[in-house]
Parts: sequence; C-alpha cells; structure tokens
Amino acid sequence: MIGQSTVLAAEFPPSVEDFYLPSILPWGAHDSYWFTKVTFLIWVAVAAIIIFFLVSYRKPQLVPTKKQWMAESAYGFVRNNIAVEMIGPRGVAFAPYLTTLFMFILLNNFFGIVPLVQISPNSHIAFPAILAVISYFMFIIVGIRHHGFFKYFKTALIPPAPWFILPLLIPIEFFSNFMVRPFSLAVRLFANMFAGHMLLLVFTLGGFAMISSNVWFTPFSIVSWLMTIALTLLEFLVICLQAYVFTVLTASYVQGALADEH
Amino acid sequence: MAGQKLPNESPGDDGPPPPDTGMGMTAVAYLFSGMLVWGGIGWLIDHWVGTKGIFAGIGAVVGIGGGVYLIVRRLGA
Repeated sequence: MIGQSTVLAAEFPPSVEDFYLPSILPWGAHDSYWFTKVTFLIWVAVAAIIIFFLVSYRKPQLVPTKKQWMAESAYGFVRNNIAVEMIGPRGVAFAPYLTTLFMFILLNNFFGIVPLVQISPNSHIAFPAILAVISYFMFIIVGIRHHGFFKYFKTALIPPAPWFILPLLIPIEFFSNFMVRPFSLAVRLFANMFAGHMLLLVFTLGGFAMISSNVWFTPFSIVSWLMTIALTLLEFLVICLQAYVFTVLTASYVQGALADEH
Repeated sequence: MAGQKLPNESPGDDGPPPPDTGMGMTAVAYLFSGMLVWGGIGWLIDHWVGTKGIFAGIGAVVGIGGGVYLIVRRLGA
C-alpha cells in the first residue's frame, strides 16, 4: 500500500481519474477499461458469494456447522428482518433475490475498506445503476403480474383523491414512482461509495503530500493517517447501512407494487 | 436458528423493528417530485410566455402542496 500510495502521492488533490484504474488485460494498456481491478473485484464477489453459499449448504446438518450457521444467519436476517418485515408473508418468495442483492452489495462495498484492495466497484455508477434497473423492472413486473397491466398502473398512478386535483397529482405520482426511484437507488449507493473512497484518498494522500513537502509537517501527516483509520471504521458503518438501505428500499417498492387499493 | 421462524407472528420479541426507511424515502420523494414536476412545467410556461420565473415559482409551490397532499393520502393513517 505504501508503494502504491507513494506513486499516487505525486498528484495530491485526488480526482475522478483515481477511480479509473490501469488496465489488467491487456496489461498496462492506456484508455482500455474492459478488464481492470474493478472488473476483477466484481467477479471475485460473484465467485465468493456463489462458492460460500454452495459450500456451506452442501451437507446441511440439523445442528448447523459454523459455516452453515453463517449462511443461514445471512439468509435469515434478510428474510425475516427485510423481506417479511417489509412485504409480509408473501415476502418469503422474494427473500432469495433480496439476500443475493444484499450480499452482493455488502461484499462489493466492503472491498472499499479491505487493506490493499481499497476500492469499491460500487464507486462507479454503472454497477449501482444496473442493480437499480434490475430492482426497478422487478417491482414493475411484479405489480403487473399481481394486478394486471391497467389495474397496476391505475393503483400506482391514481391516488385516492377528488377528481379535480387528480391532474395535479398524477404527474407527481408518475415522477416519484417511476423516475425518482431507480435514480435515487443508484445515486445513493454510488455517491456514498464514491465519497467514502474520496475521503480516504484525501486523508491518505494528504499525509504523504505534507510529509514530502516539509519534514516539520510529519506530526500532521500522522494525524491525517490516524484520521484515515478512524474514517475507515466510519466507512464500515456506511457500507453496511447502504447495503441494508438498498435492499430495504427494493423490498418496500415490491411491497408497494403488491399492495391492494386503499 | 435464525432462519427458522417468521417474526411477523410475534412482533417485539426479536429486538427493535428496523427503521421504516421505505416510508421516509417515499415522503421525501413526493416532496421533491412535486416541486420538480410542477416547477419544471412552470419553467416551461415561463419560457413560452416570456416571463422571468413567476410560473416556475407558482408551480413549485403548487407542486409542494400536491406532494404534501399525496403524503397525507398515501402515507397518513
């Protein structure tokens, strides 16, 4: 990490460029972003989740082993505290998707504070955007299948109100239900991860910039690095919270799509 | 064990329920949408008529009113 950071320390105020890591395949190519560390981390996350859940549930025991207990707790947490809590008994059907979503976001966010890895793929908006699009289409399709096409859009767009204010309210409903939702889902996750990475970069590289400009600044550099450690702990909270919020909001949108008329 | 029972049957046994993030976000989304949609429509009218922002202002206020009304109707008891 020190070697990597001293290389980066030359350009102190960190910029968006710092999020575009060098290409791995082809090695060292410029302006090629097909396979970078971020791509690699995404596949690591996918593989880790698949392997973890397959291995831990290969021989399920009545008295669970440690690994099985961890996998069951993760699934049980999402099923009981998110799916069933938000959607109701029907939520069990969505628990597998929500668990996958939760674990995937959690692991990808977590890469942001793993030493030596320290970048989250979710700090590129493409990944949260795709996740938000999946959730978006899912809740619309769930609603259409539950209510039928016209009835779903009727419940989603027409609030219980006297007819003469409906022209005022329907555009608001449309905008908030079908345009703000995917946008805010994606941007919330992306912005939190982006800002977290930026914050850590500022304090780490700031320490290097100070120490290399003047030896007398060393104490400030050390304070700056201590701040990095403190912020890493704060980042851990943000990571868990954002994974939770994304999953809870997806569940709440599904609940809204399944809700019966008021 | 955690996966074995549904807490819905016995609320309050498993510690505090999760914060109702969904509802808060919906309310905020309604407020912003109201302001943006009708403020935007007002802004377009401004452009069309040639005024300097009076319709955008009226639109934003009306939109916020609509948003508050929606919150009361959709999320209120």
